[in-house]
Amino acid sequence: MEELKYILIFGSFHSLTYLVFSLGFSLVFGVARLPNLTYGALYVLTGYSTYVFLNYLNTPLYLAVPVSILLTAAISLAIGESVIKPAIKFPVSVFITTVAVAYIFEELFSIQMGLKPVTLPLYPGTTSILGIPVSNHWLLITAVCLAMTLALLAFLYKTSTGKAIRAVAESWEESMRLGINPLRVLRATFLISGVYAALTGILLAPLKALTPTAGWSPLFAAFAIVVMGGIGNILGTVVASLVYGFIEQSMVYVLGGGIARVAPLILILLILVFRPHGLFGRGE
Amino acid sequence: MSRLAFSKPSKLKRVGSILPALFIAAIYMLLPTFGLRGFWLDVLTRVNIFLLITLSLDLYSGTTFYLNLGVPFTVGCAAYSLALLNRYLGVPVEYAILPSAAISLVLSLVIFLPSLRVRGAYFSIMSLLLPIVMAGIVTSQPFSLYLGGEGGITYSPLFFSYARGLPVKERAFFLQSTYFYISSIAAIIAFIVSYKVAYSDFGFMMRSVGQDELLAEASGVNTVRVKLVGFLISSSLASFAGSIYAAMRPPVTVDVFIPANTLVPPLTAVILGGMGTIVGPTIANYFILLVYEALWDVIGRWRVVLYMCLLIVLVLLRPQGIVYYLYTKLKRLVSSKIAELTAGV
Amino acid sequence: MVKLLVCDSVTKKFGGIVALDKVSLEVSKGELLGLIGPNGSGKTTLVNVISGVITPDEGRIVFEGKDITRLKPHRRVALGISRIFQGMRVYPYLPVYYNVSLSARSVYKDARLARAKTTWALTITRLLAEAGELPINLTPYKLRMVELARALVTGPKLVLLDEPFAGLSPSEIDEVIEIVKKLNENGLAFIIVEHKLRYLMKLVNRVVVLNEGKKIFEGKPDEAVSNEEVARVYLGVL
Repeated sequence: MEELKYILIFGSFHSLTYLVFSLGFSLVFGVARLPNLTYGALYVLTGYSTYVFLNYLNTPLYLAVPVSILLTAAISLAIGESVIKPAIKFPVSVFITTVAVAYIFEELFSIQMGLKPVTLPLYPGTTSILGIPVSNHWLLITAVCLAMTLALLAFLYKTSTGKAIRAVAESWEESMRLGINPLRVLRATFLISGVYAALTGILLAPLKALTPTAGWSPLFAAFAIVVMGGIGNILGTVVASLVYGFIEQSMVYVLGGGIARVAPLILILLILVFRPHGLFGRGE
Repeated sequence: MSRLAFSKPSKLKRVGSILPALFIAAIYMLLPTFGLRGFWLDVLTRVNIFLLITLSLDLYSGTTFYLNLGVPFTVGCAAYSLALLNRYLGVPVEYAILPSAAISLVLSLVIFLPSLRVRGAYFSIMSLLLPIVMAGIVTSQPFSLYLGGEGGITYSPLFFSYARGLPVKERAFFLQSTYFYISSIAAIIAFIVSYKVAYSDFGFMMRSVGQDELLAEASGVNTVRVKLVGFLISSSLASFAGSIYAAMRPPVTVDVFIPANTLVPPLTAVILGGMGTIVGPTIANYFILLVYEALWDVIGRWRVVLYMCLLIVLVLLRPQGIVYYLYTKLKRLVSSKIAELTAGV
Repeated sequence: MVKLLVCDSVTKKFGGIVALDKVSLEVSKGELLGLIGPNGSGKTTLVNVISGVITPDEGRIVFEGKDITRLKPHRRVALGISRIFQGMRVYPYLPVYYNVSLSARSVYKDARLARAKTTWALTITRLLAEAGELPINLTPYKLRMVELARALVTGPKLVLLDEPFAGLSPSEIDEVIEIVKKLNENGLAFIIVEHKLRYLMKLVNRVVVLNEGKKIFEGKPDEAVSNEEVARVYLGVL
């Protein structure tokens, strides 16, 4: 019973963070039609850069956080422009270049920061939910994640750039006929997805130990969620995030954290076997 | 623009290239008798084994353009199977090589089967994910209890029981040179098999899948079968690499699943050599891995960063590779020289 | 007599858009059928459904009395349905010979037979001289011939041509028509999707007109030209 409560509470929290993380991932995935394999590295990068700002440069938190986010967004843009865009016609080239960039980041982090996990400061205090003590940091995460989800929705449906992103995700040819430049739209998605990776990175770093390889697991989760929910399908992504968050947390509390590592693998395999075009997918 | 273009070499030309290749192979195999010992003999053994991994990657990803980042998974599963067969069933490593390679092959096939059936990014994502999941499993509870955790599993290596009967002074060299010969023979067999497959009708079907999968499917090619059989042949090379290497170099640790060890050099070799050309990556394999070994003393872990930067630059600026291009240039030069020389006779 | 191909109220939806709405179609052995309609009317979708690239949501496709609705594309090629795609679609980095021979090799298990068939297909498309060339070095007409050779090498009974005249000069179109006619005389059936009606109407025995996924007309080419609804649908195009 106690475990059920944990699963319910932390499943919800995790689902929400996965939702935000996946939304950022799905922007580039939807427009470029290729998964950005550096997305996990961006998540880790923000954690480390904030850590460096706080502990080595003694920057106050209120400065370190926005600067790290901007830095990550800029790097995301630079990666997209230099290694994704030039090879966009050759999927295998994009896979190679993006995975190479991810490995470079991984090595840089482990050379410079070591393999020992680092953490960022936690928002202090705890609140009791259903009799379970929950760190106030989770409440902060919930607030920020909800705000970011709504902000993205507003952006996609109300602004002209957002509408262009949706048009290009629907069809490159059609959007070009409408006078939209898909490559410029792609640039916007690099920037925004960088911000989303950065924010989730900063928010989760205090709760999850930050290691050079910490970005892979969320990357695969995001891929599984976006594919399951259907690219460009916001409601689908919400449902898929919930499914993923609860599956993962159930595995953590019932089977232990070690086995929970295979959660994304299991989910991707299930999708592949039963619905290769996504639960709510549009098919070909 | 003739990038990634292939034509079958004629019979005569083939004889012309087989003779020098045989000569080089013979010289290479005799290196220990010429006095090569110690560290660099070990390194060459390693590089020979890595040729199997490079060819595995080139044979599948170089032709079908489905990037198999999961090579460390296949290699690692073979290595761990060998170690586990030895530890829990008491199978001597000499007899465990074949079964462990088979186990790894079956495991790879079963887990990749669903992603081979569909088009798109699934395969590469799955392949990227598996080694990372395995590295996590091997080092975390409760699996680490059975899989040796960070320290790995150790056992007596290939032919060790035989070497024990020898005088102490000869033991090390006996094992080293034997391993070198075995790995060289494995490398030569792997090269011949890969070359035959890559330039057979089946190999060209794999290329058709890589160049336009929908077109291939709609014009009669059974793309799923082609991908499956291609993956099977390619993975058996990687499985043997894992088994043979583990048999020679205990202990088996989580390192086999780490891309920096088992993926970065072969991938760089494939791109530098020219995807799908077999000959190019084979030559590049020796160059890339020897440099990779040498760089460890100079820049340590930065070598991964260096290689990945090289990889990005190559992919963006020269996706058709360099070594194969130079190789064909050289061959043409030599054959025209020969033609010139024979013209006067 | 069993019809060569029967499409029985085939329906296909993409999201909310109905690409094909209960389309029924019959093709007899050795027939030349024209398939026309404005952009987005579902012609290519129908070709995709018949060749197996897409499976329909509803309806059946029967080839020589055999239900092939759920059959994979490569199995349909072996049964005798070949197609060419819209635009010049070839393997860009394989020589012409392999562009054609791989299909033959997939269908005929005997390598010698496959080689003989490839030579035959390259001969009738007059490509023997270019067998070693890469597609990048060929003219659009020659590329079209490569596609045609690949479609013919598997020994089809029905060939689906999606815009075979696009990108060709009038004299080149005449040459394509000549080849199609010659093959048709030997009993090969064709479904031809084409916008260049002037050429198409002279070639085919019968036309089917699609609009917004529905079949709106079926009959002789000259009747189609005088049909009011067809004229209305085509007003924007012609």
